[in-house]
Amino acid sequence: MILFIKLFKESALFAWGSVVSNKLRTLLTLLGITIGIFAIISVFSVVDALERQIRTSISSLGDNVIYIQKWPWEFSQDFAWWKYMNRPSPRPSELDEIFRRTNILESAVFTASTNRTVEYFNRSIEQVNILSVSQDYDKVRSFEIDAGRFISLTESGSGRNVAVIGSKIASQLFENDNPIGNIIKIFGRNIEVIGVFAPEGDDTFGNNHDEMIVLPLNFVNSFIDVSSDRYGPVILAKGKENFSNDELTDELRGVMRSIRKIKPAAEDDFALNQTSLLSRQFDGLFAILKIAGWIIGGFSILVGGFGIANIMFVSVKERTTIIGIQKALGAKNFFILIQFLSEAVLLSLMGGSIGLLLVFGGTFIASQLFDMDLLIQMKNVLLGVNVSVIIGLVAGFIPAWSAAHLNPVDAIRANT
Amino acid sequence: MIEIRNLYKAFNNLPVLNNVSTIFQKGNTNLIIGQSGSGKTVFMKCLVGLHEPDEGGIYYDNLNFTKLSSRERSQVRKKIGMLFQGSALFDSLNVEENVIFPLEMFNKDMTKKEKLERAHFCLDRVNIHNANHLYPAEISGGMKKRVAIARAIANKPEYLFCDEPNSGLDPATAIVIDNLIREITKEFEITTVINTHDMNSVMEIGDHVVFLYKGELWWEGTSEQILTSGNKEVEEFVYASELMRKLKTN
Repeated sequence: MILFIKLFKESALFAWGSVVSNKLRTLLTLLGITIGIFAIISVFSVVDALERQIRTSISSLGDNVIYIQKWPWEFSQDFAWWKYMNRPSPRPSELDEIFRRTNILESAVFTASTNRTVEYFNRSIEQVNILSVSQDYDKVRSFEIDAGRFISLTESGSGRNVAVIGSKIASQLFENDNPIGNIIKIFGRNIEVIGVFAPEGDDTFGNNHDEMIVLPLNFVNSFIDVSSDRYGPVILAKGKENFSNDELTDELRGVMRSIRKIKPAAEDDFALNQTSLLSRQFDGLFAILKIAGWIIGGFSILVGGFGIANIMFVSVKERTTIIGIQKALGAKNFFILIQFLSEAVLLSLMGGSIGLLLVFGGTFIASQLFDMDLLIQMKNVLLGVNVSVIIGLVAGFIPAWSAAHLNPVDAIRANT
Repeated sequence: MIEIRNLYKAFNNLPVLNNVSTIFQKGNTNLIIGQSGSGKTVFMKCLVGLHEPDEGGIYYDNLNFTKLSSRERSQVRKKIGMLFQGSALFDSLNVEENVIFPLEMFNKDMTKKEKLERAHFCLDRVNIHNANHLYPAEISGGMKKRVAIARAIANKPEYLFCDEPNSGLDPATAIVIDNLIREITKEFEITTVINTHDMNSVMEIGDHVVFLYKGELWWEGTSEQILTSGNKEVEEFVYASELMRKLKTN
């Protein structure tokens, strides 16, 4: 084994010697592999970062929450949009019925949103997302409160003029002042700030509480119609533990159909959406992006593979004598084959490693410049290494095979 | 013993070896000599199985090598040691590892310790001491040749083939190498076949000399007999140099 390693070292040294003495030839040979690995791994890294970000955002919507809405999240090609246009929007009264008629529901909440200007003395912020929520919002959506508290049951039920504001709103509106207990003005009404959400950071769908103000639904409903389409009314329903989303969906479908008195043969006039639908749509997008990465990198790797095969044929030609001597001293074909395959893999790994280093450098620079969460995952590094090894094996096999099966007479001829 | 019977080999219908028959005895240094193009190299390659003769037989101790399957040939090859022109050591292996190489290839059942002991024995035998861990680039041409001999005898060969063993060596070192090959041949009872055109070697170690001329075995005898062969072509070869001509006149 040690001897084999020594002979492998000889192969490696020969390959290295070839690299040093024929810099341009080697550079051009390895360029294909380098570009290929760079293309594939960088695409995969970007897709992974994007996927991670999107999945985190989707999961923040709640994995086990069903969204009862007018519009579905998933559209087929023959999407009849005019049918959905005429559907009724969810109403707060339907939420009460849902509570009354379901068995596996843990909690549910009605929400409606709009954009309004928020004022505090002489400061104001325009187009702030105002979310009106019924009680139990804190049981359906996960969030943390940085200061103060969330809307109580009594405040929610009585429709008190209180608000929980996002961290960015708080810092813009109150700067260094404590927002708790202060009065802000929305819809021309005075509203007391009772809490501030903890900062959540950027979200792909803008679905964070940082730039949002949450008000009790009953308060808002007293001066605007929250069931109106323009406020995007939604009922969020969360099932009890040990019950799947499918079970909850089935029950909600039955309950909603009975609430709206839909005839058995008639279609639903509501959509039951869940985050898995979004995930599924993104799965397809990510798959396409990854295929694109393979195609772009694949062609480069193909060219690189031919380059390695070419350099290996040259290597075999240059070392014909040494092959002959090894054979004459008892080296089996397999021994010669492994030597040359190792050399091809080494060359390919060199190209792949340079590609990976470029990806490392590129992601570091991109992370610094664009404030992106770009990380090269170990699985992608291993993928790059594996692809390099496989290309080395495939490209080097025929030259190695021809070396292993050289006629000893031809092989030794140069020496005698 | 190696017996060659009516060996015939042609390339593109041009005979290179024609009806060559001879016997290489065990414990003898058998030299194949002749001018360039006389067929020495093809003859040697036929003997070790690198060329297939068109007709005739090569008998390794009564076993017809030309009729053997590749598996059976590999069994015979295990008994063959080879000394290449120019030593042909592996540059990346040190002296000791170069000698172990054929043991690694052929003797899977030997332990590492046994291989090491054998390598040390062979190196001692060729008078290489304290150089086991040096690399070929660090030793002289004569030492390289001795290491190559140690490698050739590592597998305890019954047959030893040497191709131009003292090419590239100064006359004094060449004599040392010639004598070493002869000593080893006698000591280990090996059938040694040497391909050479060096008359010094012929005179020094030629127990049995075979002279090839245009692919035919033109003459054979001992190193003493070659000086008085009476054969025109042999004499032209033997007395080609001024030195040999002067020796003859004296």
